[in-house]
Amino acid sequence: MKKGLSDRQKQTRSGYLFLIFPIIIFGIFTIFPMFFALFISFYDWNLLIPDKPFVGLANYIELFQDEVFLIATKNTIIYALGVVPVQTILSLFLAFLMNQKLPGRGFFRLAFYLPAVTASVVTSTIFIWIYSKPGLLNYLLSLAGINGTDWLTNPNTALLSIMALNVWSTSGYFMITFLAGLQNIPASVYEAAKIDGASAWTQFWKITFPLVRPVTYFVVVLSLIGCFQVFDQVFIMSQGGPVNSTTTMSFFVYINSFKYFRLGYGAASAIILAMIIYFVTVVQKRYFPPEPY
Amino acid sequence: MKKIRLSKIFFWLLLVGMTFIYMGPFLFSLSISLNAEQDVFQWPIKLIPQKWTFKNYIQIWEDLPFGRWLTNSLIISIIQTISNVFFSSLAGFAFARLRFPGRNFFFSLFMASLMIPGIILLIPKFIVLNEFHLINTYSGIILPGLVSVVNIFLMKQFFETIPKALEEAALIDGCSYFKIYWKIFLPISKPALAAVAIYTFQGSWNEFMWTVIVTTTSDMFTLPVGMNFLKNEFLVNWPLLMAGTILISLPTLVIFIVFQRYFVQGVGTSGLKE
Amino acid sequence: MARVELKNINKIYDKKVTAISDANIVIEDQEFAILVGPSGCGKSTLLRMIAGLESITSGDLLIDGVRVNDLAPKDRDIAMVFQNYALYPHMTVFDNMAFGLKLRKTPKKEIKERVHHAAEILGLTDLLKRRPKAMSGGQRQRVAIGRAIVRQPKVFLFDEPLSNLDAKLRVQMRTEIKRLHKQLETTIIYVTHDQTEAMTMGNKIIVLDKGLIQQIDSPMRLYNFPANQFVAGFIGSPNMNFIEGKIEKGNRILFKSPDITFSIPENLETLASNFLNQEIILGFRPESIYDQNNENVAWLTEKVKIEIDVIEPIGAETFIYFQANGNDICMRTTSNKEYYTGQSIHIGFDTTRLYFFDKKTGSILR
Repeated sequence: MKKGLSDRQKQTRSGYLFLIFPIIIFGIFTIFPMFFALFISFYDWNLLIPDKPFVGLANYIELFQDEVFLIATKNTIIYALGVVPVQTILSLFLAFLMNQKLPGRGFFRLAFYLPAVTASVVTSTIFIWIYSKPGLLNYLLSLAGINGTDWLTNPNTALLSIMALNVWSTSGYFMITFLAGLQNIPASVYEAAKIDGASAWTQFWKITFPLVRPVTYFVVVLSLIGCFQVFDQVFIMSQGGPVNSTTTMSFFVYINSFKYFRLGYGAASAIILAMIIYFVTVVQKRYFPPEPY
Repeated sequence: MKKIRLSKIFFWLLLVGMTFIYMGPFLFSLSISLNAEQDVFQWPIKLIPQKWTFKNYIQIWEDLPFGRWLTNSLIISIIQTISNVFFSSLAGFAFARLRFPGRNFFFSLFMASLMIPGIILLIPKFIVLNEFHLINTYSGIILPGLVSVVNIFLMKQFFETIPKALEEAALIDGCSYFKIYWKIFLPISKPALAAVAIYTFQGSWNEFMWTVIVTTTSDMFTLPVGMNFLKNEFLVNWPLLMAGTILISLPTLVIFIVFQRYFVQGVGTSGLKE
Repeated sequence: MARVELKNINKIYDKKVTAISDANIVIEDQEFAILVGPSGCGKSTLLRMIAGLESITSGDLLIDGVRVNDLAPKDRDIAMVFQNYALYPHMTVFDNMAFGLKLRKTPKKEIKERVHHAAEILGLTDLLKRRPKAMSGGQRQRVAIGRAIVRQPKVFLFDEPLSNLDAKLRVQMRTEIKRLHKQLETTIIYVTHDQTEAMTMGNKIIVLDKGLIQQIDSPMRLYNFPANQFVAGFIGSPNMNFIEGKIEKGNRILFKSPDITFSIPENLETLASNFLNQEIILGFRPESIYDQNNENVAWLTEKVKIEIDVIEPIGAETFIYFQANGNDICMRTTSNKEYYTGQSIHIGFDTTRLYFFDKKTGSILR
């Protein structure tokens, strides 16, 4: 029964040879860190102190008594709940407009996608200027007779401002995703609906929306995961301030790990964040599955 | 029919309006970067500068380590892009085309890892690199991004659309599996490879968080991190800052315009299917 | 220059699904052998095992007496033409043909000669610089064949090479491949699901069904002496007609069924008497049915009355369909008589062309 094994062996040898590099990189920078993160979350692991004692659940217990962590959690949830729906609806709407085969589509696509391919540091910097007291936003508001505020230093508006930036900068990416989904819907389906007498509005809700549901699912998952880990904008624009009003969980992880060098504590908060993300995606899959039919 | 026309015009106007929202900030920063006056905080705001100058674009090279950051950014992005294109396609080929024990295990493992939020890996990655004394080195910045699971997945999906007979014909012609990959699959997968290259380059060029964490001195900064540094140091000099943002955005903008179809069509269609 | 021999070849997938069981085939040097059968019968699997693209579970595969089971495809000295051509889309016609030779480190000059020679045979000389995309289906098919020819292999394997072509081109390529076979003087193993292709091209036909070899024979022997009901029904167009009935003894020995009953002709009496009172299946081809009122043929059975259901005039011949025992029966006549639907005619069967099959096993009764 040795027949054909030679080819099998060749495939096995080639297969592992082709995969060895990714497996090593992946092992060192993903698999190992995953377990190691859990491990150090049970230690008082300070980068500057050689002694790293086991502390059991102390880090986790401390987290739940840490007011800043609780604020960060609340901020992160507000952030995700605010950004995800707006971003999803906006990008679907943009994709719907783009799918109307109107002149200048190439240019519009470029315009909408531009923020998504631009470095976060660039968009954030531009928006610091836009949001500043004598900035563009307030100028535009003043034209409408509204008196603006200093958006990023006002604790009431800082988080909201960053959320708006996020919607603006990533909706173009999701629009492209939706657009691909829309273009997969055969024209004959719409033609059939038109013959059945469906209005544009009915067509959108009864045909387009259900048929792009798998795409919507995908977009919402990606958007959620992205929002829960938001870091760059907070780091660049507000450093968590004013008075922790923009401290998100990722920023909390960063501050504790790389500013205060409390890596064990940081790891514990990262693990709670991961658990929240996991929980949310499971809930989404359970209650809003991609294909319910 | 008239009603449809009207709605089309309405849609088109909406698109134009949205375009201003999405492009406006960039045009605005371009305008500021060309403004000759130091104090741009004038009220009311002038959307178009009265005195034009390119001096900010020159000053950024002269007074700041902009060239150094650019070099760092280029080295890092190019190495990561080449590595991703090669190793992701090679691994994608193995997953799509070779049968060997453990294939499904590794593939599921790779895919499952997509569920892990990057944030929890940050600290351990830092500790590992610290052990190897790679903090604040090119290796430290580059190593974790040499291959990505998403790219492997994209390449696998693409390779699966290539007819099996092509591989068999090559096998009969005398190709080894590596040669099948190198001489047959790579040349006919240019759209997918281009997509992987573009996405990787863009991601690498814009990467911020990891670089912030592993770099400690300004000579190791990449453009985005350097830009942030600049922002903190020169918050008053907006024209200079905006010139920096424009310069950083240029490569991705050019790549996006030139390779737009690869972004949009993504992967999936190839010259093979007819 | 090559004799291909399959000895007790089995193919079992995942230790469960049997794709081929106990195949024994000998293909002589320079033979044009056809593997034919309905889809899923295992013909492609068999070919792919010969090519080395599929492992052999058990048994021996010999090429020129050498066991090649464990050899890689490239070391078996075979060439294969695929159904969808499998041309390398990024290479020109020349490079497509030269690729295998380059990998074998054939000298450049020789590659050039061989490719040009093959191109000449196939009429591809003007297309050598083109890419597959810019060619028609027929041209691509020729390139695929050319790629096989330049290798000068011991055995050519064809996997349904014509099924992607339109009907007209298919007929043309059929003759072309036959001519090529004569010219190249090599062994060809050719897979098809089309029995017409099999009959017209091969000189040895291997009929497969459900992973089992049903019969190996020349085209005419397959047609005239099918080994079982499957082969009888598969070979020939329109299909052979089958009706179930019983052999009974009246005054003479009778074939008895609800709609069709007739005395067994003398030449079959001895055979039929072995199956007295048994259910059998009677088989007869459309051209073995005659209109007794119209055609004068000597060796017919006694008259059977039928009513015409559907008429299909083709021109040179006419197909007449009628119902018997709930089956559609097809009759083919070359007479110029005008028939009409609902007409009753008396038919008779060519006594020398009646086949009896075992109802349970389907094998022919002789």
